[in-house]
Amino acid sequence: MAMRPLIVLALMAALAAPALGQEIVPEVAAPAEAAAPAETPSATLEAVPLAPVEPDGAAQPGQERLTAALSTRTVSISSSFDGETLTLFGVAEADPNSGATHLEGTYNVVVVVVGPLQSRVARLATRNLGVWMNTEQVSFSQVPSFYHVQSSGRLATIIDPELLAAEAILPSAHLQQTDEADPEQRARFAAELERLMTEEGRFAVNEQGVSFLSSTAYTARVSLPHDIVTGPFLARTYLVKDRQIVARRTDSFIVRKVGFERFLGNAATQYPFLYGLVGVLLAVGTGWLGGVVFRR
Amino acid sequence: MQIYLPIAELSMNLFYLAGIGAAVGFLSGLFGVGGGFLLTPLLIFSGVPAPVAVASVTGQVVAASTSGALSYFRRGGIDLHLALYLILSGVLGAFGGVATFSALQKLGQIDLVISFGFLILLGFVGTLMLVESVRSLLKSRSGMVVRERMPHQHNWVHGLPFRTRFKKSKLYISVLPVIAIGGVIGFLGSLLGIGGGFVLVPALVYILRVPGSVVIGTSLLQVVAIMAATLMLHAWQSQSVDILLAFCLMVGGVIGAQFGASAGKYLRGEQLRALLALLVLAVAIRFGLSLVLTPADIFSMAVLGPGRG
Repeated sequence: MAMRPLIVLALMAALAAPALGQEIVPEVAAPAEAAAPAETPSATLEAVPLAPVEPDGAAQPGQERLTAALSTRTVSISSSFDGETLTLFGVAEADPNSGATHLEGTYNVVVVVVGPLQSRVARLATRNLGVWMNTEQVSFSQVPSFYHVQSSGRLATIIDPELLAAEAILPSAHLQQTDEADPEQRARFAAELERLMTEEGRFAVNEQGVSFLSSTAYTARVSLPHDIVTGPFLARTYLVKDRQIVARRTDSFIVRKVGFERFLGNAATQYPFLYGLVGVLLAVGTGWLGGVVFRR
Repeated sequence: MQIYLPIAELSMNLFYLAGIGAAVGFLSGLFGVGGGFLLTPLLIFSGVPAPVAVASVTGQVVAASTSGALSYFRRGGIDLHLALYLILSGVLGAFGGVATFSALQKLGQIDLVISFGFLILLGFVGTLMLVESVRSLLKSRSGMVVRERMPHQHNWVHGLPFRTRFKKSKLYISVLPVIAIGGVIGFLGSLLGIGGGFVLVPALVYILRVPGSVVIGTSLLQVVAIMAATLMLHAWQSQSVDILLAFCLMVGGVIGAQFGASAGKYLRGEQLRALLALLVLAVAIRFGLSLVLTPADIFSMAVLGPGRG
C-alpha cells in the first residue's frame, strides 16, 4: 500500500490547516484537489475522483460539488486478514460551472458504505411441547451484507426526514423485498433482522462518524470486520445543507481474496470434485504422517 | 495469530484452532474415537457457520482415524470383507445424510435436528456405555470374573436370510443387519458431522457379535471411508469444506492423538469406557439443554444460498 503514507501526509496537512480556513494550503501535493479549479485527478493519490454516478441533487441547482478519495480501492484478503479500516477523504467545493466561487453556510456530510447484496432469512423460535424450534421465517432479498451510515451530526436534525426516507439512507430501507405478504409480520421480522444485523456489526449508524477537518474537508473511517463478505462495495456521500441534499457522489472499492485464499475459494466452487479429493488426500496424508512420526 | 479461513470467510486464531484440535485429538487417542461429536459443536460455538463446521470436521476425523486404521491393518486387525459391506452401505447412507442436511438447511430446522440427533444418539449410547462400564468396574473390584460374550452366541439377528461367511470375524451371518448398520452410521455421520465410531463399535459388538480382535480396526476403516466420502459429498454439494480450517484441526488432532494414546495405557478398559461415557453424556445434556432452555434470542438469521445455513 504505497499510497498510505501520502494519505497520512494529506491528513496531517489538512489538520495543520486552520480549522475554519476556506482553502487548504496546497503545501503537499495530495490536497491539491481541494484547491483545484477543474477536475484534475491527482495521480499521486490514485484518488480517482469518479464523476458522481448521479448528478447533483435535483432539488437545487448545485453550487457545490464533492471530491473524494478512499485510502484504498482494493481490500485484499490474505491469510493474515483480520479486518481492515478504510479512510474516506473528501472536500466540498464550489462548482465552477455554476459560477460560484466559494461556499458559505453550514454543511453536513452523510457517508453510506454498502456491501454486496445477499438473501437473508429471519427466523423465530417458539416453544412447542417443551422444545424450542424455529417455527416462523421470513426471507428478504437484496439485503446488503454490510451497511454503515456515518454522518457529521444527528440525522434527524441535519436532513429532512422525508428526504432521508426517499433516499433510502437508513439500513431499514433495505429490508423491503420479501416474500411475506402480511405487512405486520413483515415489519416485525424486518425490525428483528435489522437488530440482528446491527448486533453482528453488519449494520451501523454512527452520527459522529464523519468529522470535518476544515469547514469543507471531511473524513470518515470505515471499519471492515474480519468476516466481511467479498465483492464490490460502494461509498455514497451526500452533502447536506439546510436539510437538503445539495451534492452527492459515489466511490467504489472492492474486497477480494488474494493469493492462496483466492485460489482455495475458487477451487472450492469451480472444481468441487478435485477440491474434495485434495481434502481427502490431505487428511489421509496427515494422519499417515502423524502415525509414522510418532510411531510407538 | 489470526488466520483467514477462505471458505468460512472469517478469521480465527491459529493457536485456538490447533488447540481445540489437539484437545479433541487427545481424547480421540485416549478413547479410540474420531472426536467429531466434540469438535463440531465446539466449532459452531466458536462462530464457524454450522455447514462449514460439519463439512470441515470430516477432514479432521479422517486424519485422526487414518493412523489408527493403518496400524490395525498392519497387525491384521481388520475384517476387510465385513468392512466392504459396511462401507458400501455407509456411502449410500452418506448420500442420504448430505441430501437431508441440505433440505433441512433450507427449512431452517438443521439446528433442531442436529441438537435432537446428538441428544438421542449420545444420550442413548452414553447411558449404555456408562451402565456397562460401571457394572464391569464393580464386578472386577469385587473380584468376580467378568464373563466375555462368546462369539458363537446367537441372537435374533442370526436368523435372517442372505447369510454370508466373514472368515476373519468367524461369523456366518446375514448381510442385512450389516448393511443396515453401515447405512445408518453413514446417514447419521454425514448429517451430524461425526464419524460414528462410538456408535459403530457397540453395534458391531452387541448386535453382530464381531470379536474384539477386529472390531476396533474394522470400525476405524469404516469411519475413514465414510468420512472421506462425506467430505467429497460436502465439497461437491454444499462447497462448504474449508481445507485450511480442516488442516489446522488435523495437525493439532494428530499430535494430540499420540499423547492421548500414550495416556490411555495408564487406564484400564472399563475406566476408559466409563470416562468416555461421562463425556458423551455431558455433550448430550448440553444439547438437551439447548432444546429446552429459553434461548438468549428467540430470533435468528441466516444467509440463503449455496453452502450457507
